[in-house]
Amino acid sequence: MLDVRDLTVHDGRSRVLVRGVSFRVGPGETVGLVGESGSGKSLTARALVSLLPQELRSGGSARLDDTELLGRKDLRGVRGHRVALLMQDPFTMLNPLATVGTHLVESLPGRADRVEVARRLAEVGIDDPAVAGRYPFQLSGGMRQRVALAAALAKDPGLLIADEPTTALDVTTQRDVLALLRRIQTERRMGLVLITHDLRVARQACDRVLVMYAGALVESARSADLDAPAHPYTAGLLRSVPSVTHRQPVLLGIPGSVPAAADVVDRCPFADRCGWAEPACTEHAPPLVDLGDRATACRRHGGIDLSPPELAEPDAEPVGDARATLLDVADLVKVYRSIGLRRTEHTALAGVSLHVGEGESLAVVGESGSGKTTLARAVLGLTDPTSGRITLGGLDVTSYRRLRSADRARARRLVQCVFQDPYSSLNPAHTVGYTLAESLRRRGEDLDVESEVDSLLDLVGLPASYAGRRPVALSGGQRQRVAIARALAVRPRLLVCDEPVAALDVSVQAQVLEVLRKANRELGIALLFITHDLAVARQVTDRMVVMHRGRIVEHGATADVLDAPTHPYTVRLVQSVPDAAPHTEGEAHVTQ
Amino acid sequence: MIVRALSAFALGLVVIAALLGDWIAPFDPGAQDLAGTAMPPDAAHWLGTDELGRDVLSRLIAGTRTALLGPALVALGVAVLSTAIGLLAGYRGGWVDSAIMRAVDLVYAIPPLLVAIVVVGVFGGGYPLAIGVLIALSVPADTRMVRSAVLAQRNLAYVEAARTVGLGRGRILFAHLLPNVLPTVVANLLLSFVGALVGLAALAFLGLGVGTGAPDWGRMLAENKGLVDLNPAAMIGPAVLITVVAASVTLLGDRLYDLMSARGRDAGRA
Amino acid sequence: MFVLAFLGKRVLAAAVTLLVTSFLVFSLLAASPGSPEQTLLGARQPTPELIAALRAQHRLDDPFPVRYWHWLSGVLELDFGRSVRSSREVVDILAERLDVTLWLGLYAFVLVLLVAVPAGLSAGIRRDTAWDRGVTVTALLGVSAPPFAVGLMLLSVFGVGLGWFPVFGAGSGFADRISHLTLPAVALAVAGVAIVARQTRAATMDVTAKDFITFAEARGLPRRVVLGRYALRNSALPVITSAGLVLAYSLTGAVLVESTFALPGLGSLLVESVSTKDIPVVQGLALLTAALVIGVNLIVDLCYLGLDPRVRHAGGV
Repeated sequence: MLDVRDLTVHDGRSRVLVRGVSFRVGPGETVGLVGESGSGKSLTARALVSLLPQELRSGGSARLDDTELLGRKDLRGVRGHRVALLMQDPFTMLNPLATVGTHLVESLPGRADRVEVARRLAEVGIDDPAVAGRYPFQLSGGMRQRVALAAALAKDPGLLIADEPTTALDVTTQRDVLALLRRIQTERRMGLVLITHDLRVARQACDRVLVMYAGALVESARSADLDAPAHPYTAGLLRSVPSVTHRQPVLLGIPGSVPAAADVVDRCPFADRCGWAEPACTEHAPPLVDLGDRATACRRHGGIDLSPPELAEPDAEPVGDARATLLDVADLVKVYRSIGLRRTEHTALAGVSLHVGEGESLAVVGESGSGKTTLARAVLGLTDPTSGRITLGGLDVTSYRRLRSADRARARRLVQCVFQDPYSSLNPAHTVGYTLAESLRRRGEDLDVESEVDSLLDLVGLPASYAGRRPVALSGGQRQRVAIARALAVRPRLLVCDEPVAALDVSVQAQVLEVLRKANRELGIALLFITHDLAVARQVTDRMVVMHRGRIVEHGATADVLDAPTHPYTVRLVQSVPDAAPHTEGEAHVTQ
Repeated sequence: MIVRALSAFALGLVVIAALLGDWIAPFDPGAQDLAGTAMPPDAAHWLGTDELGRDVLSRLIAGTRTALLGPALVALGVAVLSTAIGLLAGYRGGWVDSAIMRAVDLVYAIPPLLVAIVVVGVFGGGYPLAIGVLIALSVPADTRMVRSAVLAQRNLAYVEAARTVGLGRGRILFAHLLPNVLPTVVANLLLSFVGALVGLAALAFLGLGVGTGAPDWGRMLAENKGLVDLNPAAMIGPAVLITVVAASVTLLGDRLYDLMSARGRDAGRA
Repeated sequence: MFVLAFLGKRVLAAAVTLLVTSFLVFSLLAASPGSPEQTLLGARQPTPELIAALRAQHRLDDPFPVRYWHWLSGVLELDFGRSVRSSREVVDILAERLDVTLWLGLYAFVLVLLVAVPAGLSAGIRRDTAWDRGVTVTALLGVSAPPFAVGLMLLSVFGVGLGWFPVFGAGSGFADRISHLTLPAVALAVAGVAIVARQTRAATMDVTAKDFITFAEARGLPRRVVLGRYALRNSALPVITSAGLVLAYSLTGAVLVESTFALPGLGSLLVESVSTKDIPVVQGLALLTAALVIGVNLIVDLCYLGLDPRVRHAGGV
């Protein structure tokens, strides 16, 4: 049905961004296109619907049945009609000034009536026809993504390209939308190209998986065959995904970071990070070799053993033993009152109590809106709670503003934080060294700042020369490690981590998580670890609390909560984790 | 780009004229030659002479220093005040912010030049009063911009991290926020300069500016308006000069803003 | 409900601003150099009867707040007092001079919209092309061009040099007036065109980079729908704001342009009244200007209300 041959994407200066990608999609087939940032997977998708950014050009061929998609001047009757694109962010994909109904009516062929709009909404699982009169800003993310799906399918295309359609959604919603996509695809016998960074999602939802790296296709395999990868990068990616079922002794990532596609056109793009690389790997670009059911771009395939390493004995799961209390949160309430015309109240925290012992590691898991970030901010003194009490190291820090300045300084030295977004975590105006030195001076001791900066960088696994760099010159993972170093510089006893790896590619998550585990185990710093990712929580924390709508609904040792959840919400959360098991027919028909 | 090079060249010339005015002017700007009034341009008088036979080019050169000094004062005054108030309002938030913004909203919509015309006209305070009025009424708009630049930064993780690390308010404001709102401040500074240049010239043009006698670009426009038939260069000269300086400074501001905000911004961010 | 609250709040804010302005405007008389009698007398012969009449008329014996109240209640009935120079009712003078300025302002505003919006839109859509760079640089130069300087250049080239347009006067009758006001309107419009064009270009670039435009194209919507319903409507808000600002500021420009072209409008009236210290006329003009600026801002708010459902439903942007 879709036959892509040697698809390339260049920028205005003819630098290569995607090189020579070839694959096919049959009717009713789901093909996953997997890769980390910079892999070129989204550009490939955009090229297929001729929606590349203005300055980019595509080459090669992509035939949909007997129509060439690339390089067309006239896309009438093709784009939207035969191939449609569903994008990532449901919050920006819909016209903010138009109602749901308008979106559907303008997309539907011919004259559409209310009945047809209602039918289309029902197809994507929206049974309330009143939704047609709503504006996007009045809907939740999951609803918006359903509306967008209905709009994308309005002209009944034979092929749908979905670019990270569930990434911006909460895990439970993610599962529903994914199931919905599969159901509609099966019902319509539609081809589906699912683009995702999450190997687990791709395996679960797709018949076949294509793995991209630095602009090139490196492996193609049936989902079921991925357990035995044929390319070292795929193997590395599989190893990097943290386990939700047991605690790994060492978190394995892939060393280094993704190169620019243009820098690796005439060599194996993965050679620099590959444990099996030989000099010959960098001499020319290895072609994708067809091995029957699968294909790989590794010239050493067959000659190397890529099976997962002997599963080392899982780490002993720690149990929450009694330790001296470091942080005690009692009945914390935070209500946001909006000022202005429409006085609304939003309860972010509705009475939360928890405690963290010295050197202990506590996970706070929940979806967006659960109040987990508000909790972190209250502990950090970035927001004052409405009521309740926070005690830290024997000091009442409920309101930092009311503390005497000596006490405030003491509290600030007790607790530090690591934020989610590595790109805004560091001041772009200052060097790494400046940022760390500034933090070191707050420790209040006489110290040799320069050598301390070096040892901090060493602690988080960065070379000392990075002290002279500005954040622009650092990758996301490196920035996050600098942010951890800045926090550790003060020698805190509690480190609050707010989704510290959520914005990072899976292959670099491990490096950051290892640094945090080291801080916890070797330096004895307690962690308050906020995350939506249960697998990550399992790797880093001893105990866990589950938050839902401002309340704690379940708590206990991390292993116990994940292995035997009791609260219905926790059960749903645990079930939503895309499991490592590959997709099989039948399983896809799960409806919401 | 050619336009950029030309504007840099023009600015260079004007600055030289301001510094070396007396030495490079071909004639005494005040010297009258009643035998040669309103002469069109020739080899000696490149822009001709005015009604009193004074050399137009020399008068333009002599007026450069005042023409630049006033706007520079206004621009600096506005920049210092608006940055201080904008930083305070944006970072402190709460009632301080509300109070400042209420006041700003009240005067925001008032056209500064119109008020300057009325105030200077009625009170006759001339140049110093005009500068004061322009500063006072230009501060609100710039304060607003600095404040929104601060608001865009203050909830970023690096500012919150600075708070968590325990840095004082002054350090956060000046070592962390100020460098990141500096592009806005500099761009505003140059725009204020242009606004004041045009505004002060306008006041002089309307006869409300500097005292008689001293050469002034705006005044020359008004004085030489009657020469449109005899020596249009006497009128077009200052008009072109004011426009060129204003445009060049605007261009410079635009360029500086782009350069400064590109530095430190993530090129590779998805 | 929210719409009413939103409107109510804006009208209230406008009223407060007007009140504060009126107070400042009234204080002008008290604060101007010399005693109020002297100011009000102007060049007239200071007979005791006249002084007594003026004192009574302006309630100069009452305390300041009472005087202000008296004046304000007059203003609400459009009574701004009499001109010092001509002893005519200020309202009559304003009405007489409003005509030319209204023509000039609207003419210039039409030029702004006709030139700036298409230029900015096309530059924003075809960004980084030669056309875009041309528009950008021209707009950058135009933003900083003082209206009087532009006016004088136009005057000497197209008025005196080429003789295409009349140089003085406002003309009578539609065609005549248009030809008289063309050069002044262009001089007044240049800066406005530049400001609105820049804003339109920025807004267009901003909107066309948005996901919802890409998604609209991906669904195969016709180009006219994508550009019209999507791009144009979504970029309209910042454009309207800047256009409102330009309209509100055009009175400043009118002062300069009318002086340049010797047009009998409100702008030249202001300069005349200010230099002869004709305070009642200045007060009337200042209030009129303030009302105009505030009125334009209210209209802009109404446009927001009409265009953006988020304002309509939540009562705030």
